Amino acid sequence: MKSDRNTLMQRQLIRELVALLGPKAVLSQAEDLMLYEYDGSVELGSPECIVFPSSTREVAEIVRLANRYETPLVGRGAGTGLSGGAIARDGGIVIAFSRMNRILEIDAANLRAVVQPGVVNLDLTRAVEHLGLYYAPDPSSQRSCTIGGNVSENSGGPHTLAYGVTSNHVTGMELVLPEGEIVRIGGKTIETPGYDLNGLLVGSEGTLALVTEITVRLTRKPEAVKTLLAIYDTLDDTTETVVDITVRAITPAACEMLDGFTLRAVEDYVHAGFPKDCAAVLLIEVEGLTEAVEAQAAAITEVCLQHRAREVRVARDDRERDLLWKGRKNAFGALGRLSPMYYVQDGVIPRTRLPETLRCIEEVGRKYDLQIGNIFHAGDGNLHPLILFDERDPEQFKRVVAAGLEIMKHCVAVGGALTGEHGVGMEKNELMPLMFTPEDLDLMRRVRAAFNPAGRLNPGKVLPLGKACGEIRVQPMPVSTTIPA
Amino acid sequence: MSRPAQASVTRLEEIVGGAYVLTDPSELAARQVDTKSPSAVVQPAEVAQVAEIIRFAAAEKLAVIPCGGCTKLGIGSPPARYDIALDLSRMNRVLAYDPHDLTLGVEAGVRIEELLRVLAEQNQFLPLGVPFADRATVGGIVAANSSSPLRHFYGGVRDFCLGMEFVTGEGVISKGGGRVVKNVTGYDLHKLLIGSLGTLAVITRVNFRTFPLPPAQGSFVASFADAESAFGFCRAIAQSVLAPQILEIADPGAAHLVLSGGAPARITSQQWSVIITAAGQPSVVDRYARELGRMASIANAAELVPLSDAEHSSVLGRISEFPRLVLDAVPSATIFRISVLPTAMPSLLKNLSEIAKHSRLDLATLTRASGIMHAAFLAEEGSETSSATMAGGAKEVFHICSLPENRAQAMLESCQSEVKRALGDVWGPWRQDFELMHRVKSVFDPQNVLSPGRFAGGI
Repeated sequence: MKSDRNTLMQRQLIRELVALLGPKAVLSQAEDLMLYEYDGSVELGSPECIVFPSSTREVAEIVRLANRYETPLVGRGAGTGLSGGAIARDGGIVIAFSRMNRILEIDAANLRAVVQPGVVNLDLTRAVEHLGLYYAPDPSSQRSCTIGGNVSENSGGPHTLAYGVTSNHVTGMELVLPEGEIVRIGGKTIETPGYDLNGLLVGSEGTLALVTEITVRLTRKPEAVKTLLAIYDTLDDTTETVVDITVRAITPAACEMLDGFTLRAVEDYVHAGFPKDCAAVLLIEVEGLTEAVEAQAAAITEVCLQHRAREVRVARDDRERDLLWKGRKNAFGALGRLSPMYYVQDGVIPRTRLPETLRCIEEVGRKYDLQIGNIFHAGDGNLHPLILFDERDPEQFKRVVAAGLEIMKHCVAVGGALTGEHGVGMEKNELMPLMFTPEDLDLMRRVRAAFNPAGRLNPGKVLPLGKACGEIRVQPMPVSTTIPA
Repeated sequence: MSRPAQASVTRLEEIVGGAYVLTDPSELAARQVDTKSPSAVVQPAEVAQVAEIIRFAAAEKLAVIPCGGCTKLGIGSPPARYDIALDLSRMNRVLAYDPHDLTLGVEAGVRIEELLRVLAEQNQFLPLGVPFADRATVGGIVAANSSSPLRHFYGGVRDFCLGMEFVTGEGVISKGGGRVVKNVTGYDLHKLLIGSLGTLAVITRVNFRTFPLPPAQGSFVASFADAESAFGFCRAIAQSVLAPQILEIADPGAAHLVLSGGAPARITSQQWSVIITAAGQPSVVDRYARELGRMASIANAAELVPLSDAEHSSVLGRISEFPRLVLDAVPSATIFRISVLPTAMPSLLKNLSEIAKHSRLDLATLTRASGIMHAAFLAEEGSETSSATMAGGAKEVFHICSLPENRAQAMLESCQSEVKRALGDVWGPWRQDFELMHRVKSVFDPQNVLSPGRFAGGI
C-alpha cells in the first residue's frame, strides 16, 4: 500500500516538522511509530511520523508542509476507533490532537461548550457537572475517546436511543481544509442558514477536513434516573421484549442487551451482579421527571414480565447503577479474557427484525463453528456481535471473515445498515456496494474530491478502493482487554 | 423556455404523458417565483421520470425549480432563470411505514396534513407543526427546513430524518443515509439537502423516524407586562428540570395573532405571552401545572391560564401557522427567521423594535425559546410603506444580527419581490463558508440546472 517515498525527502520533512513544532512534538523513531500503527479495530498501518500540534495555526502549517511533500495526513484522537479511522493506511503524518485538549468556553446559559478536538468525552461532562449539565453522547470508550474522534466517526453510545448521536449535538466547527485554509462552519446558534455543512462533516471519518474546534450542545441532567435489569431464560423472550417496548411507545433512555455467554464473561471480570445461569439480560434505563420515570419503569417491568422475564431488578442506588453500567461498558474487554482475539461488528436492523436476526447470528455461529457473543444497543437495533477466534489458526480466521460477511449481508437485506456508530473506515469500505449503488458512491467520491482533491487526507477510508469488491478487510491482531465497546 | 418551446413541451409530454405537462397561464402563474413564471409545469409520477426530466433540462440548458404545495417559493433570492416547474405533488405515496419500528418512508409530494393523519391512526406523529399545513408537502418542508414549535423538544428535520432518495442536477438518482434509526454508513449527503431550497437535488423520497403520541398533553399561557419578565420566566423554565414540548414567547403583536380567535377570551392577548406545552403521563402534566404556577408567580406573571384540549389544538395550530397569519393580515409583511442564542434574545428584540420604530413599521415577533425567532415587520395600519423603507429596515436587521452582542443569523423568509430587488441580497452578509457551499453545489448540480440563483452566496 505505502508508496516508496524518498527517504531523504522523508528526513527533510521531519526536520521541517521539528523546526515548526519543536522536537518534543514530533515522533519518528521506529518504536514510537509502532504505538501509532493500530487503533481499537483489527487494522494496522504504520505512519512515517506523528506530530502533536498545539494550535489551529500549527495544524494549518503542518497541512501546508504535507502538501509540499505530497504526504498523506491522518487525524487521530485517542485511537479508540473500531474501524481503522485513525490508521495511516498509506503511511504519512499522523496528526495527534492530544495537546489540543482545552475546553475553550462553557456557556451554560445557552447550553453550549466550545472545545478543542483532543478533549476527552467524559472530561467535558466532568467540567460541566457542577452546573447540572452533561455532554450526552456516551460511547463506551468515553473515559478515553476524544470529542474530535467522536465528530469524525459520528459516535453513539447507549444513551443515543433517547438523545441522538454526535451529529445531533454539534452546532459549529473550525476546520483546516486540505489546502491549509482555516474555515468556520455553523456557530453557536441552533441552526445556520445555508447548506448543513456540520451534517456533512460529522461522520466523514476525517476524509474531508481536519477539525480543530467544535461547538457542542450541553444537556441538562434529568431529575430522576432508574436502571432496571431484566433477566431471561430464552433469547427469544428477550428480543420480543425489546420489540414490544418499541411497539408500546415506551421510550427508555437506554435499552442494552447482553446474551448469557457475554454476561458470564462480564460477571467473572467485573462482578456487576449479573446472574450467570440465564440466557440474556436487558439493561434498561429511564430518565426524566420523577413522575415520568415511575410510570415508565412500571410499564417496562410489566412488558418484561409479560415476556416471561425471570426477574426484573431495579438498581437501588448510584453504586448499583454504576456497577451495572461498568459491566456493560467493559464487556468487550471481558470477552478478551476468553479468547486471544475477537472481531466486533456494528450492523443495524429495524427493531422489529431483532428476534429473527439474533436467531440468524446463532445459526451463523453454528454453521461456521464459531463462538459469537452478543452485547448491543437493542433499543435502536444496533448489533454488536463479537466473533471470538485465535489468530494462530488461519483456517478459522477465514471462517470468521465469512461469518461476519454473512451477518452484515443479513442486516442490509432486512433494510438495515452496515454500521451504526463504529464507522466504515478501512474495515467495511469494500462492503459499501452492499448498501449503495455505483451512482451513490460516485457522488460521495466527488463530494470528497471537492473538499480533499488530492486525496491526501485519510486515504483509503470510507469509500471502496475497487480492488477487492465486497470483501471485509480484517487483519488479525491481538486484542487488548481495555478495548471498549 | 425561450428556444423551441413547443419541442420541449413535446419531449416532456413523452416523459410524463400529455396530461401532466401544464402550460395553462393560471397553472404557470401559480408556480411563479418572485416575478418569474415557468414555461411549463411538469408532474412526474415516479423517480425515473424526475431523472429523465432533469437530464433533458440539463441537455437543453433549462432551469428547473422543484415544487409541491407552492407555499415556500418566495423564500430565497429571485431565481436567475426559470423554465420548468417540477411539481412533485403526484408523487404522494407512503412507501414504507413500520409503526412497530417507528420508521417511515414517503414520497416527497405527500402533504404533511395527510401524512399526520396516517400516522395518527397508529397513535404516532412527526414533530412537523409547520405553516401552510393544508398544502405543504414533505419535500418542501425538508427543502426549506421549515420550523415547528415542536422543535423545542424534538429537534429540527435533521434530527429525525434518516435518509433520502434524490435526483441530482445531472439527472442521477442517488441517496444518502438509510431507513434505520442509527446509521453512520457513508457520508450523510441527505443532510445537505435539508434547507437547500431545491438548489442541490430534487428530493424524491424521505425516511423519518416517527414518534409516539404522548398519552396526555397540557398547554398553558402565561401573560406578562413586559419582555423582561417573559424572558425571565423562560430562563427559569430552561434552568429547571422541566422539558416542555413547546416553549414560545409572543410579543403583544404576535400574541394578538396567535391567541385571538379560537383561543380563550380570558387571555389578555395584548401582553407578552409565554406558551408552554407539556406532554407525558397525566401525573407529569399535573406536575408541570404546579411547577409552572409557582415559577409564573415568581416571574410576576399577570396570569397563568391552562388551556382546554380544544384550545390547545387551536393555539398550537395558530403558532405553527404564524407566518401565514401575518401574511393573511398584512400581505406586504416582511418576515425574518432568525437563529439566536437565548441570552441574546432580549437585546436582539430591543434592536428590532428600534428599527421598527424609526422605520415607522409595526413589529410582531414569535420566539422559540430554543433559539429561533420569527420577526415580522408590517406597514403601520392605514399607512403606505415603500419597498425602499422595508429594504432599508431589512438591511439594518442583517446588520444588528451581526453585532457581537447578538451574534444571530437572519434569513429573510418572506417579503415582496420589490423589497428583494431593493435589498440586493436576501441572505445577508458574505460568510467564509459560502465558498465550501459552492463546492458542494458544483458536485450536485455542476450545470446549475436546479433553482439557479435562489440560494446563499449567489448559488
